Amino acid sequence: MSLFKRNKKEPTKTKMQQKVKVERVTEQIEEYQTKLQTAEGEDQIPLLNMLGSLYFEIEDYDQAIKYYEASIEENKALGKAFTDLIKLYNLKRKEATKENDKEKVQFYLQKADELMKLTKDSIRGRI
Amino acid sequence: MAFIDFIINSILTQASITIALIAFAGLLLQRKAFGEVMSGSFKTMLGFLVLSAGSSIIVGSLVYFGDIFAEGFGMEGIVPSIEAINGQAMNDLGLANQIALTFLAIFIFNIILARFTKWKYIFLTGQAILWMATMTTVFGSAAGFSGISLILVGGLVGGFFAVAMPAIAQPIVRKITGSDDIALGHFCTIGYVFAAGVSKVVGKNSESTENIKFPKGLGFLSDTYLSVAFVMVPLYVITAFFAGAEFASELSGDVNYVVYAFLQAVQFVVGVYVLLSGVRLLLAEIVPAFRGIALKLVPDAKPALDCPVLFPYAPNAVTAGFVTTTIGTVIAMFVLPWFGLAMILPGMLTNFFAGGTAGIFMNAVGGKRGVLFGGIAHGFFITLLPALLVPHFNSLGFINTTATDVDTVAAGLFFEWLVHPIMNLFA
Repeated sequence: MSLFKRNKKEPTKTKMQQKVKVERVTEQIEEYQTKLQTAEGEDQIPLLNMLGSLYFEIEDYDQAIKYYEASIEENKALGKAFTDLIKLYNLKRKEATKENDKEKVQFYLQKADELMKLTKDSIRGRI
Repeated sequence: MAFIDFIINSILTQASITIALIAFAGLLLQRKAFGEVMSGSFKTMLGFLVLSAGSSIIVGSLVYFGDIFAEGFGMEGIVPSIEAINGQAMNDLGLANQIALTFLAIFIFNIILARFTKWKYIFLTGQAILWMATMTTVFGSAAGFSGISLILVGGLVGGFFAVAMPAIAQPIVRKITGSDDIALGHFCTIGYVFAAGVSKVVGKNSESTENIKFPKGLGFLSDTYLSVAFVMVPLYVITAFFAGAEFASELSGDVNYVVYAFLQAVQFVVGVYVLLSGVRLLLAEIVPAFRGIALKLVPDAKPALDCPVLFPYAPNAVTAGFVTTTIGTVIAMFVLPWFGLAMILPGMLTNFFAGGTAGIFMNAVGGKRGVLFGGIAHGFFITLLPALLVPHFNSLGFINTTATDVDTVAAGLFFEWLVHPIMNLFA
């Protein structure tokens, strides 16, 4: 049932609503970026993850990847940064396939492989 | 004529050369630069020869282990290792070319099935496809297929598994990941679905594993070589004790028999190390090209990725699933011989990755209680299926070993139980 509901809701999202959403999220992004400038060490991680998540929401995949990768660079704790990054690499890979950019396709497949390798290493560390 | 005879009898019978030629043709077709074609072909040949060397090391160690186990316990002790199966099939059974061609055929059938059916999955885990190609070739040839028909039948069965396994996992994967973009490409899926089924029945309203705190220190078992050594070293040493100093010393020559057993166990690990390095070299040239082509030909493809893709969703469930699955495999090790089946020693590496992934599946549908009981059932299940294949492996000449990865085992059983009898009717 929930699947049908979701399908019905989707098309009712107007362009206007989308625009309002982007504006709202952009404001939040600015807010978090300001916080990020003053944050140090471990405190940066939730902010980086938040920025990754917000950029993902407004479909700015490159920026989302940038912040999530920075988050993982700082702290390899398994969580949303990992799960969203795999989705993001796949979306970028899909774009590259459409553009017929072979090198980019391989680049993002490689990125996904590396992330899974990192996942293996991280799970080793936490068990 | 003499020249053609030379090519057919002296060159094309050498699997390492024909496999290099297959890679050569593939790289030419992709219009790669001359340097890349040459280096790619050479690396493929090197990969195959490294794999063969690894296989010989494994076989040497397994022959020794088989002898002391039979002497010590009066029964067969079977080491589950898909790597050993692959190595022996390629070298001792002389099926290397057929496996390599079936490997390519599985890719092609995967693309065809994904393009024209509603199962839009492209299986991206190259190593798993190699294991599948090994099993369909071994049991396809045992069922009486040869030449092009062996490759086509193996390709079709393997290609079917490559789309069907992600498809049966997808309802739960969707529940875990919250999206339909990514699929699971790991040939242990029948075990995951079985475990999830048990978990669903027993785990109603049970809390998620993610609220448990686990002790640390088991992580080394996810390391391929350490986890193999962790089982093999005690196993070999204890077995040598049971075999007795007199018998074991006959095999160990001048070396102390316990020290020799220890070194043979390490030798097994070395064999796995060498064999997997060979596999990596062999696949490095072929897999990226396939991925690019497949994803282009099936524009709405869902990539089926290796099991670590799910680990970040429920890391505790990975640990819990590994522990409970291991308990199940140990129970099965002791119980199965009562029913006249071989004693299958636990494969810690499979327990880690298959058990861990099963943990995520079980947690998604049945929480903590589901993971506990479902995991034990899973461990039993993934030991029982390979045990059923042991008599067939033995009759084909494999030494003290059976396959892991239940989907590849299921493909083997499909040939043995269904295709083989049908072929016999027409023979």
